[in-house]
Amino acid sequence: MRDYSYPSVYFAYFYFFLLLVGALFFFFRSVKHGYWGEHAEDAKYRMLEDDEPHSEERSEPARREL
Amino acid sequence: MQSESTISAGEIPVSEAARYNESLHEDTTAKLFLVSSITYFFIVGIVALMIAAKFVWPELLGTVQYLTYGRLRPLHVNGMLFGWLLAADMGLMYYVVPRLCGVKLWSEKLGVATAALWNFIILGAVVSTIMGWNQGWEYAELPMFLDVLVVIAWVMFGANIFMTVANRKYTQMYVTIWYCLGTILWTAFVYLTGNFAALFATGVNQANLNWMYVHNAVGLIFTPVGLAIAYYFIPKVSNSPLHSHKLSMIGFWSLAFVYVWTGAHHMIHGPISQWLQTIAIVFSVMLLVPVWAVVYNFFATMRGQWDQMRDNVPLKFLMSGVVFYLLTCFQGPMHSLRSVNAIVSKTDWIPGHAHMAVLGAFSFFAIAGCYYVVPRIFRRKLYSDSLANWSFWLFLIGGVGFFVTLWLGGFWQGWQWNNPAIPFIDTVIALQPVWIVRFFSGVLMFGGIATFAYNILATMVGSGTESTKMAAATA
Repeated sequence: MRDYSYPSVYFAYFYFFLLLVGALFFFFRSVKHGYWGEHAEDAKYRMLEDDEPHSEERSEPARREL
Repeated sequence: MQSESTISAGEIPVSEAARYNESLHEDTTAKLFLVSSITYFFIVGIVALMIAAKFVWPELLGTVQYLTYGRLRPLHVNGMLFGWLLAADMGLMYYVVPRLCGVKLWSEKLGVATAALWNFIILGAVVSTIMGWNQGWEYAELPMFLDVLVVIAWVMFGANIFMTVANRKYTQMYVTIWYCLGTILWTAFVYLTGNFAALFATGVNQANLNWMYVHNAVGLIFTPVGLAIAYYFIPKVSNSPLHSHKLSMIGFWSLAFVYVWTGAHHMIHGPISQWLQTIAIVFSVMLLVPVWAVVYNFFATMRGQWDQMRDNVPLKFLMSGVVFYLLTCFQGPMHSLRSVNAIVSKTDWIPGHAHMAVLGAFSFFAIAGCYYVVPRIFRRKLYSDSLANWSFWLFLIGGVGFFVTLWLGGFWQGWQWNNPAIPFIDTVIALQPVWIVRFFSGVLMFGGIATFAYNILATMVGSGTESTKMAAATA
């Protein structure tokens, strides 16, 4: 059997590079979407409300601005 | 009728119950995954007992090849990991994610097809492990055609969840969704590496890839999905907002950065580079950062709420799971240190540690989720609060007995193995008392599984009458 150890290592480097790029992309996106700012804690209150149709008016302040 | 201040296991708060009669969620997929996973939990629990019994009575079940340790052990491991825990976690994600996104599941039909395929895979795994069709790799025993089906099922699951998240009402995602999406991506990476990429390497590189897979099967599959569940259900069950969403994000990103590098600590003192061992040790110790970020957040959430632990069974499971999570994640970094590893590696310490992670922490989270979710999606009161409480104490006492016995036994075993004057067979004989306690602890844990499974399945099939239905509870 041929040993693919070195190609697999280069593939692993490439894969880790992709993951790093992805992680940085999503991290900066999270900064843009306010996860680290003054609205960082909104989500934890919203999740306590249920999302059934009649509850829409209650969760309006936390709703995405469309 | 109970007052709101004494909400019991799995019961919808009376003031909230009416809402569930007009739910926009179908939950068919969640139901299918939960029914099947709990059934597998019970069946594979019997296999676990048989294995534990074989340690004490090695002649048990004779020489029937299908019932030998070598066949039953992979069945137990794969059955518990993929038949019970991952399937239950997937079922809970099908419940949680649409609710957190404020929309219906993207495709209920795709979800049902995923559930059908998943069950086919699990049944195939049962047959193949019993027949001995085994690739011979830890946690990657299943034959190739089942591995391919797992990948297909995972793509179906991932597509459904990602599309649901893409259609969400809210820009900001609660931390549970972050962990869920992370689980989907990391599982793809970890599973492909362990089951396909490892086949293209040889020797020690192959072993290293396998251990990367084994460790991250727990670290990047069951940990993130387990934490996703805990982050959802601890605030929900205790009706208290999470202490800090910002801290939960720090925990998520630090876990994402740290976990993937730790796999090589399974090969410390083995034939791999010292620098690789050192990197694995350093990252293993760094794991304390995300772990403490998570555990502190959960404990701070419970500030002023501990009195709920008296009669809130899901919360008992959740917070006991958090304690086990802390303990197991303290053990991990410590036994990756070279000096400790020289004693505990390959001993009974390791199954003690692994069971505390997979059963004590992540299965406790999943059980709590089932107790919370099943009465809601089936719109029935939980069959028995008392039985739920029994299941908790059976799991807890049996689990602690199992974990502690194996830690102590493992240390003892390691010290003996480090003494070349002691013949190996003597170290086996010396462990007999440990394995007896292990077996009886297993009996208690199986009692927990049986009471949990009976309670949930009785709730599902509606062994109650109209008076026990949730609609009636609001009247």
